[in-house]
Amino acid sequence: MRASAVAGLVLANSNDELLNELTSVRSMASVPFGGRYRLIDFTLSNLVHSGVSSVGLITKENYRSLMDHIGNGFYWDLDRKGGGVYLLPPYVTSGVRRYTGTIDALYGAMNFLKRSKADYIVISGSDTIANIDISAAIESHINKQADITVVYHYGKKPVNHDDIMILDLDNDNRIKSVNFKSNGEDVNYGIETTIIGKELLKKLIKESYDNGGENFNRDIISAYVDKLNIYGYEHKEFVTVLDGMHSYIETNMALLKTEVRRQLFKKERPILTKTRDDMPTRYGTKSVVNNCFIADGCIIDGTVENSILFRGVNVEKGAVVKNCILMQETTVGTNAVLENVIADKNAVIGEGMTVKGTKEKSFFINKNQVV
Amino acid sequence: MNSKKCVAMLLAGGQGSRLGVLTSKIAKPAVPYGGKYRIIDFPLSNCTNSGIDTVGILTQYKPLELNDYVGSGKPWDLDRLNGGVHILPPYQGQQGGDWYKGTANAIYQNIEFIERYDPKYVLILSGDHIYKMDYSKMINEHAKSGAACTIAVLEVPEDEASRFGIMNTKEDDTIYEFEEKPKNPKSNLASMGIYVFNWDKLRKYLTEDEKKPDSSNDFGKDVIPAMLNEGELLKVYRFNDYWKDVGTVDSLWEANLDLLNPKIDLNLSDSNWRIYSRTTGMPPQFISDKANVENSLVTDGCEICGNLDYSIIFDNVTVEEGATVEYSLVMPGAVIKSGASVKYAIIAENAVIENGASVGTEPSIAGTEGWGITVVGADITIGKNAKVGANNMITTNVKEGEEI
Repeated sequence: MRASAVAGLVLANSNDELLNELTSVRSMASVPFGGRYRLIDFTLSNLVHSGVSSVGLITKENYRSLMDHIGNGFYWDLDRKGGGVYLLPPYVTSGVRRYTGTIDALYGAMNFLKRSKADYIVISGSDTIANIDISAAIESHINKQADITVVYHYGKKPVNHDDIMILDLDNDNRIKSVNFKSNGEDVNYGIETTIIGKELLKKLIKESYDNGGENFNRDIISAYVDKLNIYGYEHKEFVTVLDGMHSYIETNMALLKTEVRRQLFKKERPILTKTRDDMPTRYGTKSVVNNCFIADGCIIDGTVENSILFRGVNVEKGAVVKNCILMQETTVGTNAVLENVIADKNAVIGEGMTVKGTKEKSFFINKNQVV
Repeated sequence: MNSKKCVAMLLAGGQGSRLGVLTSKIAKPAVPYGGKYRIIDFPLSNCTNSGIDTVGILTQYKPLELNDYVGSGKPWDLDRLNGGVHILPPYQGQQGGDWYKGTANAIYQNIEFIERYDPKYVLILSGDHIYKMDYSKMINEHAKSGAACTIAVLEVPEDEASRFGIMNTKEDDTIYEFEEKPKNPKSNLASMGIYVFNWDKLRKYLTEDEKKPDSSNDFGKDVIPAMLNEGELLKVYRFNDYWKDVGTVDSLWEANLDLLNPKIDLNLSDSNWRIYSRTTGMPPQFISDKANVENSLVTDGCEICGNLDYSIIFDNVTVEEGATVEYSLVMPGAVIKSGASVKYAIIAENAVIENGASVGTEPSIAGTEGWGITVVGADITIGKNAKVGANNMITTNVKEGEEI
């Protein structure tokens, strides 16, 4: 395939409302995850590893932290002469409505599509955590002469999304019908990664927009399931489509399982992210660390168990941290005790403080908050 | 081409033979250090942090990995429109070509490169020291003093002075004599191998040195003495912070473990003076519930299920359950299997220590005589239950059960 045959379109604010605590200061795409990543890193890495060299990031609000993270795209090898990464903020004119649904959002990217040299577009959300071989999905799309290919996974559908597609597939993986109501059983559900020909996408978006369509999955894929060749492509390995704070915590903690790490972090398709040039993590004389996933730049002199530590976290002497997610530059003071806590960036927990949440409800410490 | 105030030339061509098997496949400046760095990260980061954006790297010995590592210079912010980092291997001209014969000859062969930038000063650096230094301060002092050359020096303990190149100075820090490894040192000011020259002077002395048939074309042995003979003004620049030569196995091991010593001031996370490196894009480290980690540095991509104490664990290292690593360096990609023991050792890249094998011993058990750090070369396998004692340099695979 020629270099610019496939382009990506990523919805950077997808379902922000599901992670209110974390998205009040940032977009879904820039929510920190797994010690050193932002959610967008998974989608961008998947695209780049499948040969995509041109990506549009459709943003709506709170995209300053995303701009900061992405920069010129260097860390994903997206600082390219032809293509690269484009931030697509809302372009509000009198004739265009500020978007509410995914049809509006994609319509806003029409100029990106018009200028793109690609034949195929991969549309992704930014709340899917997976290492997906998109090039295999594209190959299937071409071999089956599909109009649209939906990447799906077999398992329990996330409950809080109202537009995740449950797919009824025939033996050839053609989608016979789509519905949105789950009865809690394992199903084949779409994981917010869709491949479609560029010209077809432009046509469908324009039509749907003019007819008042709102949601890409409902008003295009589901609506056209009998008229177009729409196929599924199964992603069999680990995936989470984030479904609220509970699934955010669960997916972070899933990184403590060897099997999950093997399926997410592959040598041949690494998850790329902005680097910070921290020194390695330093473990002190009295450090006790068990079952943890820890980024570089931490200094650990206390006890840490079953936790995810982001870059530059400082756990001082005598401090005890259990079942926590501590983001970049969190400081846990001497003899402080933290259990079931999520601390957003730069939080400071003072000397001797005790902060405890429960397994069911973690205690959340805001960005820059001092406890 | 815009002219530059100062161009840095980094001498990276030496074999580093005293590091033995650690430099059998790579040049010394590419040797891993401190968990996620290579030695060359220090001079390159110092250049960037000092505002020097034009760096020539003179390579000769096994340059492949070093070239790969430096690449476009992006990790050090040295991919510049004007200037940036340039790899300079020896080359052929119309009159033939030659290997770099000595440090001075390496610079001489690249006069053309330096002239492109029309610099006022040239900074000569080497790729075998660990230190953080603001070169801009040294260049400023050099400019103020009116010297033709300024040499950075460190005060070393009197009894160690005979291991270094020693600068004998007058009270005003003017150099009157240079002695290479003197038996009876007159001063304890050791050269750090960092020189600032006025470019016009350096060019003159390099050109004259080339014409001397019996010259070894070396800065310390030939160029500096010639300048002193001619009555040029040479000054020392005193440096007081951490500096370590990592030219030997022992000093490399020590300089790494220095990072764990709270009394030594070598903070690599200082946001005002970052040490940059090329990273591998690996996930955070995983420390299992069976692990016991104390007094150690561990970095991205590691899976630690065993016991670590006083060790530096580089990226993508696996330490399996029940394995023990103490007072050791385990370089990128190495695997320490279950029940293996590594003590006072350097395990080079991608080496595998099989189940139950032991490598190295404590000084107390082996006795001080004949004791030393054991080194296992890159890609070497130490077989199951094999025993490798102290002070060994392992260059070929060791069979199951074998004792060395």
